[in-house]
Amino acid sequence: MSYDVQIDRLGRVAVFDLKGTADAVGAWVKDILPAFPVRPNTRTEKNGVALCYIGRNHWLLRAARDAEERLEQRLKPTNCPADISIVRVSDTLTFFHVTGPDAADVMAIACPLDLHETVFPPDAVTYSEFFGLKALVTRCEGGFECAVEQSFGDMVADYLARATA
Amino acid sequence: MAQSNRLAAGGRIDRSRPLTFRFNGKPYQGYDGDTLASALLANGVRVTARSFKYHRPRGIVGHGPEEPATLVELDGEDASGNRPATTVPLREGLSARSVNCWPSPEFDLGGINQLFSRFIPAGFYYKTFKWPNWHLFEPSIRKAAGLAAAPKYAPSCGYFEARHAHTDVLIAGAGPAGLLAALEAGRAGKRVFLADEGPEAGGGLLNRNLTIKGQPAMNWVADAVAELQGMANVTHLQNATVWAYREHNMLIVNQRMPEQNSLLERSWRIRAAEVVLATGATERAMVFADNDRPGIMLATSLQAYVNHWGVLPGQQVVLFTNNNSAYPVAADLAGAGALVVAILDSRVHVPDAAMKLVPDIPVHAGTVVAGVKGHKQVRAVRAVPLGGGAGAWITCDLLGHSGGWNPTVHLWSQSRSSLKFDETLAAFVPDSAAQRCRAVGAAAGNLTLDQIIEGGEDLPYAIDPLWRVEIADQKGKAFLDIQNDVTVSDVYLALREGYDNVEHVKRYTTGGMGLDQGKTGNINIIGTVAMQKGISLQDVGTTTFRSPYTPVSFGAIGGLREETVLFPYRHTPVTQWNKDNGAVMYEAGARWRRPGYFPKPGEGLQEAVNRECRAVREGVGVYDGSPLGTFELKGRDVPKFLDFLYSNVMSSLKPGDGRYGLMLSDDGLILDDGVAFRLDEHRWLISTSTGHADAVNQHMKKLLQTEFPGWQVMITTVTSQWNNATICGPRARDVMQALGTDINLSPKAFPFMSFRDGTVAGLPARVVRVSFTGELSFEVNVAPRHMATLWDKVMEAGEPFGILPVGSEASHVLRVEKGFLSLGHEVDGTVDAYDLGMGWAMSQKKPDYLGKRSVQLRRQSGHPRRALVGVLPEDPNRQIPEGAPLTPGGRREATEGLITACVWSVMNDRWVGLALLENGHARQGETAHVRLKDGVIPVRVTKPVFHDPDGKLLRS
Repeated sequence: MSYDVQIDRLGRVAVFDLKGTADAVGAWVKDILPAFPVRPNTRTEKNGVALCYIGRNHWLLRAARDAEERLEQRLKPTNCPADISIVRVSDTLTFFHVTGPDAADVMAIACPLDLHETVFPPDAVTYSEFFGLKALVTRCEGGFECAVEQSFGDMVADYLARATA
Repeated sequence: MAQSNRLAAGGRIDRSRPLTFRFNGKPYQGYDGDTLASALLANGVRVTARSFKYHRPRGIVGHGPEEPATLVELDGEDASGNRPATTVPLREGLSARSVNCWPSPEFDLGGINQLFSRFIPAGFYYKTFKWPNWHLFEPSIRKAAGLAAAPKYAPSCGYFEARHAHTDVLIAGAGPAGLLAALEAGRAGKRVFLADEGPEAGGGLLNRNLTIKGQPAMNWVADAVAELQGMANVTHLQNATVWAYREHNMLIVNQRMPEQNSLLERSWRIRAAEVVLATGATERAMVFADNDRPGIMLATSLQAYVNHWGVLPGQQVVLFTNNNSAYPVAADLAGAGALVVAILDSRVHVPDAAMKLVPDIPVHAGTVVAGVKGHKQVRAVRAVPLGGGAGAWITCDLLGHSGGWNPTVHLWSQSRSSLKFDETLAAFVPDSAAQRCRAVGAAAGNLTLDQIIEGGEDLPYAIDPLWRVEIADQKGKAFLDIQNDVTVSDVYLALREGYDNVEHVKRYTTGGMGLDQGKTGNINIIGTVAMQKGISLQDVGTTTFRSPYTPVSFGAIGGLREETVLFPYRHTPVTQWNKDNGAVMYEAGARWRRPGYFPKPGEGLQEAVNRECRAVREGVGVYDGSPLGTFELKGRDVPKFLDFLYSNVMSSLKPGDGRYGLMLSDDGLILDDGVAFRLDEHRWLISTSTGHADAVNQHMKKLLQTEFPGWQVMITTVTSQWNNATICGPRARDVMQALGTDINLSPKAFPFMSFRDGTVAGLPARVVRVSFTGELSFEVNVAPRHMATLWDKVMEAGEPFGILPVGSEASHVLRVEKGFLSLGHEVDGTVDAYDLGMGWAMSQKKPDYLGKRSVQLRRQSGHPRRALVGVLPEDPNRQIPEGAPLTPGGRREATEGLITACVWSVMNDRWVGLALLENGHARQGETAHVRLKDGVIPVRVTKPVFHDPDGKLLRS
């Protein structure tokens, strides 16, 4: 099939699951977060920390791996108030980058989402399917980023290798 | 015979590229651009197939996907079955065989069926279901009838691909109407997806000599294609059939020969904001005696072979029609050098415009064909006045017939949009759209070019329908559905036997089924039913149009999903270690591939399992318990939520403590079991069975969204945030100490059903004291990033104690010895907690919890229930199959229970089992009987526990 793409399976990425009202979460974590995304299926970003809208009163915070401990100390998941929930879930997801001129073609094989730039702009993020598995999809430089449940990582790598062989 | 029927010039074939191919073992030549059908006709091959049931000789009838007669099986790298010869593109080295004949279509032993045809009418095999015995006839029926077998092997090279697409406008068909729609939408800047089943755009224009504003119509097509090609917002695919129209404007396209080397076919699943169906129209057959003989073809197909492929399939042609479209055919055939002997038109009055096209051809108005001479080749047709009479035989070697045109409404109808019968066109046409779609061009009933495009020049369409020729002295079968050998008599039989709904007629006769889905004949079946019942075609209605519109290969549907990715699979960080250490891996719920057992060289399953069990019972073992479902719950209302979710009380737990519990469904049956731990005042951790993790997650969220929307409970799935190595056995504490930990492991400081956070082997860990084996156990939970390290350190620290990795087979044995329940075994969707002897888990204090009332109601009924018991075969070496029934005295009576598990117990040195037995709790000490095909096994009924009945070990 010879698609002109680059497939990268990323190492661990820092991810925290945040639940609660924006006011309550914001009050606890104060200034380390970017502004809360207002529209569903969008994300905001500040200083390398992205905040993804997952659902009502539900966000995922994503940052580089080396920011994980610093964020953990700031977020204090085990000490946060009863009305919010912060859980480190970095190990639950495996991230893939699909980049290159044919990235959209490979994504079309894996994902049923309409990823056309008019529909899925740079700040878009959403759960969808990736080879039939639940996946968090967003754009990255030169292509797309998909995160699947970590235990399916080997299978998705297998699938991507077949799709681009 | 070197392409004896090939015209000297003309056609859209590349004569500079001759191709060699084989058909039924014989070599032939054709050209690039040919189909297998056009090349066979060019070579004068008349008998190309045998029919489905009667094995009558058949030739090529059509020129596209409507072809009902000639199905072929392709060999070699094209290996596939049941391909209409009209849709197989010719290529160098192609090898094809006729289906359903032996040794060849010219001489087929199955042709003997024709002698017995009166004994095998429609539905004859249904009657064998009743008498004398279907299985008596089944082998010979299956052998004699049918189609090609599926290829034995996958294609030797290449892949299939399935992909998704989204578009503003999806257009099916690149004929004039489809191209116009694409140009309009493309110029408006919309995202356009144009798919056409043929190798070249143009639709019906490819086969005819029409003009647009005085210029050849194909010039306009070329300009349109070029303009579309220049639009970045337009995707234009040829060789791409839209074969399914599903809900929410989701359509599926099968693209053959995409321009990528190793790709065989690509399946597109397209979601369209709007759909334009420009699928054209299909010519239908005339129904008369012996209308299936080789050399009898659809009239417009003759025109297509002449104009598109430069092939004249015969020299002396008769055309039989009830509409205008045969007249341009006659003109083109005559222009190509054929002798058009006559046009037989069933209409009494032929329009002048049609007559003007054929000034030199005899036209017999009010005349029909009532018989055919020739078995493997038409030699003459009997022309008879419509009202009857002697008529006359007309010598010919080719008969073209046209019963009119049907708008191709398959996709329209698949979308659940409605149809109506148009009396003027004598055809079903689109009526109300059920989804956002519209039909255009011939698909909408505009059958002539001037109706579709400004400046298009075409003969007006006019028809006087003739659903079948009814001449009293006709002899021979008149076929309504050529592919399935369904005749007019078959439909009469179905009606006589009471199958008078058109859907019943279809099932009884098989008319309209098969690979062509009745494209040429269905309307004639409807017309025949209407005439016989004396009602209108509108009142008869159509049968349901279903996908696929044309056959699709399974490979294209499956796409990449084959071999290792056929099914999803999950791994843990220890999976590779398991494989490296010889584990036999298989799925053990929720797509997790887990080690079943770890055999040593030369060791079988039972020996390996015994060894692993002995290690746990007498020394120490370790297993990877990572797949267990794990959820973190947070919020002020978690305690009361858990009290509602579980049958026992959870809210009383103190931080650091845990409790085993049962979750019940609405009907009071057991949904899942697991443990809940209180991490702090508002934070909890619960675990579920591996296989039910997703179901429990949905269950909890559904309750919160529908029953308790105001409760503050936030659930986060952490199954993959925690992995665990569970160290179990009498030496488990020794291994933990050898690993090194800052947690006080003494039974008093760290009792059963509690957890401690700390470090183990220098890694941050949460250690939980639970046990699924009945032994002292430490479940060491770490983040997956540390799991491989932890595992290595456990194996290293455990080596002096003889630690062994334990697979799921041994885990199963160990839990059976303890009588611990397992979902899918003892929990089979019929039992409640009392049945399993777990009434202690049913809280008497809580006012309510899920399933409580259902359990009470059911048990108040007093009906006997099956209860969990242990069973010991009288012969200790006798294994009992899981699922084996228990019957009273082992007699052939209604079962009173079943064996849920039976394992070899190393500790008891015998087979032991668990069973659900009617009134089982009161029958301990009795003998029950397992009834098998080969005998009865007496078993002693016991308590369902065979090891450490007081549970001292697991609490130690």
